[in-house]
Amino acid sequence: MIGEISHFLSLSAVVIFCLILIFNFFFIFDKTHSNQLSLSLRMFNQACWLVFISFGMYVYLSINDDFSIAYIASHSNSQLPIFYKISSIWSAHEGSMFLWIVFLTVWSILFINSLHRNHPLKRITLLMLSLIILGFLLFLLLTSNPFERILPFGAIEGADINPVLQDPALAIHPPMLYLGYVGFVISFSFITAYLFHGNFELEWEKDIKNWSLVAWIFLTIGITLGSWWAYYELGWGGYWFWDPVENVALMPWLAATAFMHSLYASSKSNVLKTWTMFLGILIFALSLFGAFIVRSGIIDSVHSFANDPQRGLYLLIFSGLITLLALGIFAYRVPSLNVSRFVISGSKESYLSMNNILMITSIFSIFLGVTYPLIIEAVNGEKVSIGPPYYNTIFAPLILIASIFIMASLDSIWQRSKPFKSIVSSIIVPMILSLIFTYVVWHVTAVFSILSYIGIFSGSLILFSYLYRILSNFFYKKFINIGSAVAHIGFGLLFIAISFNSILSYEKNLNLAPGETILIDESIEEFSFDDIKVLKASNHDVISVEVSLLQDGNNIFLNPQKRKYATRGQITTESSIHASILKDTYLTIGDQLENGSWTFALKINYFIKWIWFSASLMVMGMLITIFKKKAI
Amino acid sequence: MNKPLRFLIVLLPIIIFSFFAKVLLVEEDEKFLKFNAKNLPSFELNDLDGVAVKSQSLDGIKLVNVWASWCITCLVEHPFLTKLSDENIQIVGLNYKDSSDKANAWLQKNGNPYIFSIYDPRGDLAFDLGVTGAPESFLLIDNQVIAHIQGEMTQRKWETIFYPLINKARNTK
Repeated sequence: MIGEISHFLSLSAVVIFCLILIFNFFFIFDKTHSNQLSLSLRMFNQACWLVFISFGMYVYLSINDDFSIAYIASHSNSQLPIFYKISSIWSAHEGSMFLWIVFLTVWSILFINSLHRNHPLKRITLLMLSLIILGFLLFLLLTSNPFERILPFGAIEGADINPVLQDPALAIHPPMLYLGYVGFVISFSFITAYLFHGNFELEWEKDIKNWSLVAWIFLTIGITLGSWWAYYELGWGGYWFWDPVENVALMPWLAATAFMHSLYASSKSNVLKTWTMFLGILIFALSLFGAFIVRSGIIDSVHSFANDPQRGLYLLIFSGLITLLALGIFAYRVPSLNVSRFVISGSKESYLSMNNILMITSIFSIFLGVTYPLIIEAVNGEKVSIGPPYYNTIFAPLILIASIFIMASLDSIWQRSKPFKSIVSSIIVPMILSLIFTYVVWHVTAVFSILSYIGIFSGSLILFSYLYRILSNFFYKKFINIGSAVAHIGFGLLFIAISFNSILSYEKNLNLAPGETILIDESIEEFSFDDIKVLKASNHDVISVEVSLLQDGNNIFLNPQKRKYATRGQITTESSIHASILKDTYLTIGDQLENGSWTFALKINYFIKWIWFSASLMVMGMLITIFKKKAI
Repeated sequence: MNKPLRFLIVLLPIIIFSFFAKVLLVEEDEKFLKFNAKNLPSFELNDLDGVAVKSQSLDGIKLVNVWASWCITCLVEHPFLTKLSDENIQIVGLNYKDSSDKANAWLQKNGNPYIFSIYDPRGDLAFDLGVTGAPESFLLIDNQVIAHIQGEMTQRKWETIFYPLINKARNTK
């Protein structure tokens, strides 16, 4: 019964959103603020609440094990802790789409009600948001209905959540990512509304600034959590795989990052406004594209949901129309925008626009990497695969150029050219320090890889220029934007960490019988296979191995496991990680050989935690920017 | 912003979206349905446990699945293959350009739906069969290759391409 009510509430929301659109259709060119706005707003709020209540009931059904609902029966289980019963909702396509819609309505309702009562853009923004929510609700109910019942008799027991998803990081990773993805619906709708409205005297930047910053933070946290989860739970031993689904998350992230910078510039001066609007539209368009790629199954990926052309086609048409609507209005209005077309070279905004171009280039390169195999296949039927080497070689030079612009922009000023001579000192110092640093690294590690050294050099260029800037700020009392400094230091550190990780890390495949001890290298003098046990847990069997290491003079105990889950028969590998500041010792067990010995994969991952630390620095920088109101 | 650029901003998404619509709408299965049966190339290789396998040992109805431990999509189709093997479909793995250590570890970790896996580290047999990558699947009936798909084995491909052929072969026997 509750399932039907929940279903009915979602359907009612569809009806109300339809009514809002039909009702307003007749008044869309009426720019006076009459009564229809307050009525539409009331309807909008009610429709959003219907979606929330519907989702709340669905959560209730999942907690109370209603296995007559097909989706819950195939993704949950009565033995699961409540936490995973809830997170099982977003462990597959239908439920995660529902969550996506809930977040869409959360952002929309908060934003719409935060706008001033008579804000001139309020009505069109509301219509845009209603249209988008309606499109996704129809997608959910028509092609991927989570409310479907198993009739006449429900299942007695659920099929269980996929064990690799029974993990706290994974329970939080999709919600964070979705909050980020859909958060940019605000900049998208608001900019479209602004362009449609046509009163270009209006100030719009400050209304969406903080909303976009918060969405950026969620997107960054979402991507970072995903990377972390793949590292320690999936047993892949790495942090980024250039998987198509990772790429479609990275594209909106890059667009969002460019957008933040552009927004900052256009609130300071009259330039780059066109850029800002374009990027604001692009972010959400890329999010929609990502949703299409992931949910149509058009590209094979570990993340892809069941392959269903019907869903793909719906999403493609819907996101295509929404994107074209926004870009069409943009292209139509751009000539009448009163913006200065000329960027003064050597000014701060000139460097920012250069980096905008670089970020668009990298988005385009990723886009090409994702679609190229499809294009080739469509052209001559061949299958090609594009992997890390493509992305690494493209990104290294882009990052080098970007880091030089970042460094130069630090000492430049808005709307005025600063002669090269006056910024020379603040370029020379970081440049020399970075060269020395890169040389020292090369000297100490004695490994050479051109791409990694470009990464180290670029990263340290950014890092040292900000550190130098902070120091000189301290002595000469110059202004520094703390939020931006922290975020950029995180960004610089990220490239240093990634490059160190790629040149220093190594991997050993071992083969040991219980009780044996071997020497691995000068760092790990002893590797002893102490014990192996077979244990029983509530819903799985465990093979648990105890290994002790004498690493750099310290004794370390590792306990990698393999688990076999009863309900799905799936086997998962639980890696065991010993973490120190510089490196992770990462051990997984393989299989038993005929002579009774076991195989092990031992990975020494350098600086891997620094990658996540850098990402959190970037998030911290953004948080400082939000809370320090004066900063922008 | 000048006119061509404004035009491009609208045109480019249209091109991109229509391209995807085309990719999505092309019936992938039709491409695979037009397959000319050929004889299984003769070979002599070992399986992953080191036991010799010859072309003659692949008699009866066998699904040959090309896989490798480095192949991400193989992981995606793996549960489906496991389901097929539970339904008594005999699946022979063709371990393609891989190392036996890694391949065995992969099977140990993810479960083994194959009756055995032919170890083809240089891709010799794969070359003769016309494999372009992993995963791919072939249907063998009495040493004849009668179907071939590239990419992930899905419920749909199974039902439209493989299952009818197997049914037909079983009925004629």
